[in-house]
Amino acid sequence: MSEFTCSISPTEGAPEGFSFDNVHRNAQIQGQLQSNNATRSASGNSSSASVLPLATKTGTTIVGVVYKDGVVLGADTRSTNDTTVADKNCEKIHYIAPNIYCCGAGTAADTEKTTELISSQMELLRMNTGGGQSRVVTACTLLKRMLFRYQGYVSAALVLGGVDHHGPHLYQIYPHGSTGKLPYTTMGSGSLAAMAVFEADFRDDMTEDEAVKLVQRAILAGIFNDLGSGSNVDTCVIRSDGSVRMGRNDITPNEVGPLRESVRRSDVLNMRPGTTAVLGETFVRAKGLGVTLADVTVSEMET
Amino acid sequence: SKLHPLTGRCVLGSAGCKTDVDQLRSVLDIKMKVYAHNHRKPMATPSVAQMLGNTLYYKRFFPYYSFNVLAGIDSEGKGAVYSYDAIGSFERTPFSASGSGQSFLIPLMDNVISHKNRLDERRDLPAEEVVEIVKDAFLTAGERDIYTGDAVDIMVITKDGIDKQTFQLKAD
Repeated sequence: MSEFTCSISPTEGAPEGFSFDNVHRNAQIQGQLQSNNATRSASGNSSSASVLPLATKTGTTIVGVVYKDGVVLGADTRSTNDTTVADKNCEKIHYIAPNIYCCGAGTAADTEKTTELISSQMELLRMNTGGGQSRVVTACTLLKRMLFRYQGYVSAALVLGGVDHHGPHLYQIYPHGSTGKLPYTTMGSGSLAAMAVFEADFRDDMTEDEAVKLVQRAILAGIFNDLGSGSNVDTCVIRSDGSVRMGRNDITPNEVGPLRESVRRSDVLNMRPGTTAVLGETFVRAKGLGVTLADVTVSEMET
Repeated sequence: SKLHPLTGRCVLGSAGCKTDVDQLRSVLDIKMKVYAHNHRKPMATPSVAQMLGNTLYYKRFFPYYSFNVLAGIDSEGKGAVYSYDAIGSFERTPFSASGSGQSFLIPLMDNVISHKNRLDERRDLPAEEVVEIVKDAFLTAGERDIYTGDAVDIMVITKDGIDKQTFQLKAD
């Protein structure tokens, strides 16, 4: 895929249409894996994976709500590799601009890199256009244009929220590039559990406190009722006056500490040094960093 | 409950498809009633083990989607654990684990219960200590397997009977 070169405009030289180079390559790799598999089963060995490795997904419950003086974003903190929890406390609320944040569901790498890229483009745009405040709709457009270009292969489902001079805005962005502008929205595997809470209790023009409490209850619904979501609640309040309150681990209802304490831990679980066999030891002194100081002379540059 | 007492000294635990598990239990209960009627005594654990294996193989070509663990007291009064696959292959083992969280439990038990890959002195573990190890193990499985959680039913089977307790896990 093409990279953005370091040019004046971040969208200058942007490729048009979808590049199918990697589709061909991926098919080749899949074919190779499958023929390896066929020959291995024939010779009686146990087969290794005949599919490409799974990406880490974020399972996820993410929500956003517009209230009287801004927006509140919320997210859970579990990321999964198929049915195993990969990260018990990952961050799903990403920075886009000082006044814009974005929650991401789907493939973890995709949400992370997509939001980082657009954040970078927004910063360059601010620099190139007189240093003012970014608009939420700009971030939305940059995101949707990129996601559509990748025809849904970039699996990022986003809840984008922020405040600009036109007021508070909340967008939902789907992996194929469609968007919706709404007063409240939920995405991810836990979106149904969270939306149930929203549909029951959302009102226009809530206070910050009411909005935050609603968002927390929605995320908690996802955490406890959806298997793909879990651990803690993260929130982010973006206010009309431009201030932001990042509530990382705002609620932690799943601390395992007290449960572990309640178990009288057996001594066999404390493994002292010497429990595991050491077959041999070698010590290799660390070499230098590869930098040698040469003689330094200073001479004036001639212009 | 995922644990089903078959006699006063023998409990069956099953993972897999619940409807097949329920049906298997139903079938076993009936067969054990017939045995008790004919032999005028409750079935001994090794006999239950064999019967379960036979019952599963009977449906070799349309299997019960059920991954079983049988636990009880054998005819000598010692503890017995049997592990099964879906079509009735079984073996008496020191311990067993089945289900979506088995990958998290088995390596731990290999090390702690069977004392594998350890150089320190092995000692006999009393029942209470093993129960605490099991609780800790389930906490671990609950952390990393999305399907494991809510609560654990623990049954301690001795020659005097079955002791039941429930341990709460995280609900997320």
